[in-house]
Parts: sequence; structure tokens; C-alpha cells
Amino acid sequence: MIDLKILGILIALGYFFGKWAERSHYKSIIKREKEFAKLPTTSTKKPLGNPMVAKAELVCGSVVVSVDYFKRILAALRNIFGGAVQSYETLVDRARREAILRMKESCNNADQIINLRIETSSISKGGKNKIGSVEVLAYGTAIYCMKHNGL
Amino acid sequence: MDYKPILPERNSNISHNHPVKEFIILASGVVGFILVCFWVLGFFVDIAVNNLSPEKEGLLFSKVNINMGVKADDEPEKREAVQAVVDSLRTCIDVDYPVQVTIIESEKLNAFAFPGGHIVVFTAILDKMESENGLAFILAHELAHFKNRDHLRSLGRGIVLAALSSMLTGADSSISRLLAPTGYLGQAQFSQSRETKADISALEALNCRYGHVGGATEFFEIIQKNGQDVKEGALHYFASHPELRYRIQALRKTAKEKGFHFEEVKELFL
Repeated sequence: MIDLKILGILIALGYFFGKWAERSHYKSIIKREKEFAKLPTTSTKKPLGNPMVAKAELVCGSVVVSVDYFKRILAALRNIFGGAVQSYETLVDRARREAILRMKESCNNADQIINLRIETSSISKGGKNKIGSVEVLAYGTAIYCMKHNGL
Repeated sequence: MDYKPILPERNSNISHNHPVKEFIILASGVVGFILVCFWVLGFFVDIAVNNLSPEKEGLLFSKVNINMGVKADDEPEKREAVQAVVDSLRTCIDVDYPVQVTIIESEKLNAFAFPGGHIVVFTAILDKMESENGLAFILAHELAHFKNRDHLRSLGRGIVLAALSSMLTGADSSISRLLAPTGYLGQAQFSQSRETKADISALEALNCRYGHVGGATEFFEIIQKNGQDVKEGALHYFASHPELRYRIQALRKTAKEKGFHFEEVKELFL
């Protein structure tokens, strides 16, 4: 019985703290996305508008995000019945957007970023098939255009 | 083509269901499935048990060694005395195979019936019980479980539960370890109604052996005094032992209905 109680407490803690962490992370993400919306980021091979390129460099941003206990239990239950694992969807979504934002933050003055690629890998803690954390790496080429005099 | 910095209004990469609702639905699905399986397989366990004759059971389990703790071997006359009480009760509740008593050192007030005709009594019982009749009631209760084959039913159900849990959550998950049969082995305590039935059989055996039922409620009264009944309250519904107060009342009521009397008890010299 005591094991069940501990399980219940862990799940409740996971749920409330996880919800709070997720909400504050999303707030931060949305705020920064608005700021960086002016920096065009595409997965194309050629820059938009065909400008004169002064400088090009590789930029990347990465982040490691983890699930809370409640999400883990929910995913385990979902593994029995099949279907969309909702609890991990927000995790991956947040990680991806955060990685892209960090990449943009690393080259603040760039005019655009092209050739965006995203890689995801799981960091398991050694437990069998238990995906505890997700690492997302976003990388691309930052383009600095020639600045015309007078503009 | 101009670049227009617009952000999407709705996040279409995530589901918008409430996670708690999903958790409740999935968890009750799993629990419901387990309960149904348990119930259905319980029927099969009962059929198997009814077809397992006592001789076969004796053969199967005779070589099992009781490994519940340190045997109290230093005073063999205690064990013989308890064995004598059990043997005297067998004129009233007969079990078709030999029943062997083992005494184990423990502070817990408990006794168990294991398949194969083994009864385990903890030393705390011998220390705290004051009357031979009270001890006889405990032993008669375990003998009644043997008679009704309850110990086999609980063993079968324990195995079913452990197998289900291993299938769904993995053999070494914390949930499976929680439900491992070690907790159920030999304890015929999976059903309140079977416990009550064993109580009534024990009462009848006591009356048959001693001519009265004095001392029948002694064990439960001792537990109450010692405060070991932690199952009172909300957990009562999930404990497979009927609540102590209810048990004592039921015994008194049954004694009245059957016309049994409470008389002087024989003192226990152990």
C-alpha cells in the first residue's frame, strides 16, 4: 500500500510541477518567437530574394528537455493501448521550438538563416526503453547580406 | 515574393485534450481489464481446485519447505502441544491428509495455512493467547480453510494476478514486484466471504470439541488491544480480512443463532 501512495504522490508532483514548467516554457517561447519573427528561417538551399551575400556561417542551437513522472506514466499506459502519445507531443514541440530559437539567438544580426535542419535524439538514463530526455539540435547557415551605403 | 513574419495562431503539433482526462480513461481501462481477467480466471481457478483431490495436493506440496523465518526449535514440546490441539480438532473438522504444525519466531500475531497441510503459527500467538480454546479457534479456522481448499484458491489467484501484471507492465516493474505472489502464498485471505465462512466453521468445530464456544473471540480481542488492526477505516473495503469488530459481532451472532454457549475456558500452559 505504501508503494501505491508513493506512486500517487510522485504522479501528483509530476503533474503539477510539469504543468507549471511547461506553461512557463511556452510563454517564454511565444515571446521570443515574436521577437525573432523578423529573422527569416527556411529549409531552402538558396537565400530568399537572391541577395548579395557578405558572410555565411554555420549556426546551431540545441536543447535537452525532460518529461515529468506523470507524463511518463501516461506514455506507459498509452503504450498498452496504442495511439497518439499526447504527453510526449508537447515535449518534442517545445524542444524543437526552443532549439530553433537558440539558434536564432546565436546569430542576432543575421539577415536570414537557410538550410535549416533539425535532429532529435533521446537520452535514456540506462533504463530499458525509457525515454527520459530528448535532445534537439537545430542547425543552419546564417547569411549576412552586403549592406549598401545610405540604406 | 516578400517575407511576411507571421506566427501560427494555433499549435497544430500537439493534441488539445486534457491530460488528466486521458490518464483517467486509460488507467480505468487497464484496471477494468485486469479486474475482468482476474474475475474470469478466478472461475477457472475454482474449477481446477475443485478437481484437485486432497491426495494429489498432498503429493504436490509435501516436499515444500516452509521458509517464513526462524523456526522455534528450542522448545519442541510447544510444537507438540499445538500439534496435539490440531489433532484433537480433527475429530470435528476432518481434513483428508496429515496436518503438520510449524512454529516460527515472530512478533506478529498471525497464523497461516499452506498447501500440503502445513499450518504455521507465530510465537507471538503462543505468548499472548491465554486459553486453549482461543488457540483451538485459530487452528480450527486454518483447518476450515484447508477443508474449503481456500489456500489453493488464493495461491491460484495470486499467480493469475502476478502473471497479468507481468504481461502488462513487465516482469520487473515496480507494480509487478508489488503484486508478487510471495505476499499471497498460502494466505487464504482473498475474499471476505470465505474468511467469514471459515470463522463459522471454526465456531462449529469449537463447539463440537469442547461443548461450548468460550474463547472464540479471544484472538480478535487481543489484536484489538494491541492495535494491530490498521485496516480499519477507508482501507477496510480493500482488505480481504473482514474488519475485526464485524468479525467479533458476527461470531457472537452466529453463536446465538446456533444455540452455542460461552463457558469457562481451559488455560493454556505454554
